[in-house]
Amino acid sequence: MSLRRRLTLSLFTILVLFAINVGTHFWGSYARSESMVAYRQAVSAGQLTDAMAKQLEDQRQKILVLSTLRENTEDVLAVEDQQTALQGIAETRGTVDALGGMVSDVTALQFAQLGTSSERLLASWEAFYRNYNDKSWVSDVDDPIPYVEASQRLKELEQRQAFIAVQRANVIDRTIALTDRITVLGFIASIFLTATLGFFLVRYTNDNLKRLKRGTQRLGGGELDYRIEDIDDDGELGDLASAFNTMSDKLRRAIDEEKDAKRSADEANAAKSRFLANVSHELRTPLNAIIGYSEMLHDELGDDTEVNRPQFQTDLDKIILSGRQLLALIDDILDLSKIETGKMILSREPFAPGDVLTMAIDALAPILRHRGNQLRCDDFTALPVLNNDAVKFRQIIVNLLSNAAKFTENGTIAVSANVDPHNHSLEIAVSDTGIGMTEEQQAQVFEAFVQAEASTSQDYGGSGLGLAICHDFCELMGGTITVESAPGEGSTFRLRLPVDPESVPEAA
Amino acid sequence: MTTQRLLLVEDNDMNRDMLSRRLRRAGFEVLWAADGEQALRAVIEDRPDLVLLDINLPIMDGWTVCQRVRETAEVQDTPIIALTAHAMAEDRDKALGAGCDDYATKPIDFPGLLEKIRRLLES
Repeated sequence: MSLRRRLTLSLFTILVLFAINVGTHFWGSYARSESMVAYRQAVSAGQLTDAMAKQLEDQRQKILVLSTLRENTEDVLAVEDQQTALQGIAETRGTVDALGGMVSDVTALQFAQLGTSSERLLASWEAFYRNYNDKSWVSDVDDPIPYVEASQRLKELEQRQAFIAVQRANVIDRTIALTDRITVLGFIASIFLTATLGFFLVRYTNDNLKRLKRGTQRLGGGELDYRIEDIDDDGELGDLASAFNTMSDKLRRAIDEEKDAKRSADEANAAKSRFLANVSHELRTPLNAIIGYSEMLHDELGDDTEVNRPQFQTDLDKIILSGRQLLALIDDILDLSKIETGKMILSREPFAPGDVLTMAIDALAPILRHRGNQLRCDDFTALPVLNNDAVKFRQIIVNLLSNAAKFTENGTIAVSANVDPHNHSLEIAVSDTGIGMTEEQQAQVFEAFVQAEASTSQDYGGSGLGLAICHDFCELMGGTITVESAPGEGSTFRLRLPVDPESVPEAA
Repeated sequence: MTTQRLLLVEDNDMNRDMLSRRLRRAGFEVLWAADGEQALRAVIEDRPDLVLLDINLPIMDGWTVCQRVRETAEVQDTPIIALTAHAMAEDRDKALGAGCDDYATKPIDFPGLLEKIRRLLES
């Protein structure tokens, strides 16, 4: 469960308990005030009944005295006295009405009975006062029954009301006790629940935060593989943990990438340094001959002896040859640098590859047949026209042929050409039976900065840039170059160049 | 004073031809070898007074030749000057570490080389 949900739930529970307490309080107050009103009414009604009982008794005493006087004397009731007495009766009626205003369901019966009996009594008393001076009128006020009955009813009402007041008081007590109990219980439950929730919340949050902290410390300490596991939370803390894990993944990847980038930059740098060292080495070899022969000839010219002219000429030829080698080497380096910087331009034109092949082989025939090698060539007259860079094509062929001658002794150098009508390509293979290459050497043979396998270039001379240039030219020309070789058995270089489909003769 | 014999080990025809002729002009008797194996054989059989050893050699490189000479009792004191077209500082350290007495970088400074040869022959 998420932290937010846990907090919300806790808050909600506490609010519910609080609401129960408040509700109980209001209900208790309401119930108490209801009962208090009833109690006060009961008490007021009790006072009224007391007052009424006293009024009735006073008036009865008065009437009994008057009645005796009337029967035994010629007493005449003054108008004022009559009015006063009638007013007293009206007051008593008013008291009855006031009692009626306080009547409730539980006292309605007693009040109704009181009303009937008191009215009868009061009516007889009223009649007595009105007809007091009429001697012919017979009074019935001596009859005690209506009075006794009214008194009895009044007492009954009073008892009833006292009983109700006691009941109300009991209800008030009970209500107070109940609300107090509920309030205390609710309060204790709130405290307990809050404390429990708080405890678990703190413990749960602490545990998870500790895990996060530990993870951060270990990651910060360089332990990049560290991951925060078992966070049992699909909410904020779980999100935080998975964000942390994602971050550490990304961090490790970034560092790995950085390391890789640095490693490949270092490798490239080292390769460039090696390349420069090789270039320097290759430049120094012809320079050594040029400077050495020049100095030697200079010294010889200073001698007194006659100059050996044919020897002199041969030595000058060596200087010229070395100078040309130097130039070729510089051209190779420039070519490679042009390719690397994307400045090598292809000049396409239709040309007959057979003618280029034949001319190149003728030109190189002396060195190809040198060291007892046999030369074998296909018939190149029927080859399709290529629309490509003839100069670069020639450069590749010359390079492959020179390599074959360089690494072969008393063997065979063969040049073949085939058209593949399915792939629309021309394949030229230059094979020799020379020293060959290991698989490791083959894998690196076309690479510019990694090639020039030390002992080979030392044994056979050359910068080793030739094949790198061939490879890059081939790619530029939309073709491929591959090698098959085995140590001691020779090498075959296959050059494949695209042919315009229309100029390919149909396969038989 | 007898003519001193130098063994020139160099696989490049032109450089070998040039250097041997200049050394002869300078008054030395010059023997030569074109690869490491020939060189080692020549050192043992002909006992030259000093060896000029190219490092980039076919069959057996100069470092190995130098080590073998140092391991062979009869010839182990023969002075050796390494000749190489490698011009880096570590190449010099490598040459001296392999047991060469001195080191010369191509293109060869010929007067400087003569001085190195004479100093080693005198000591």
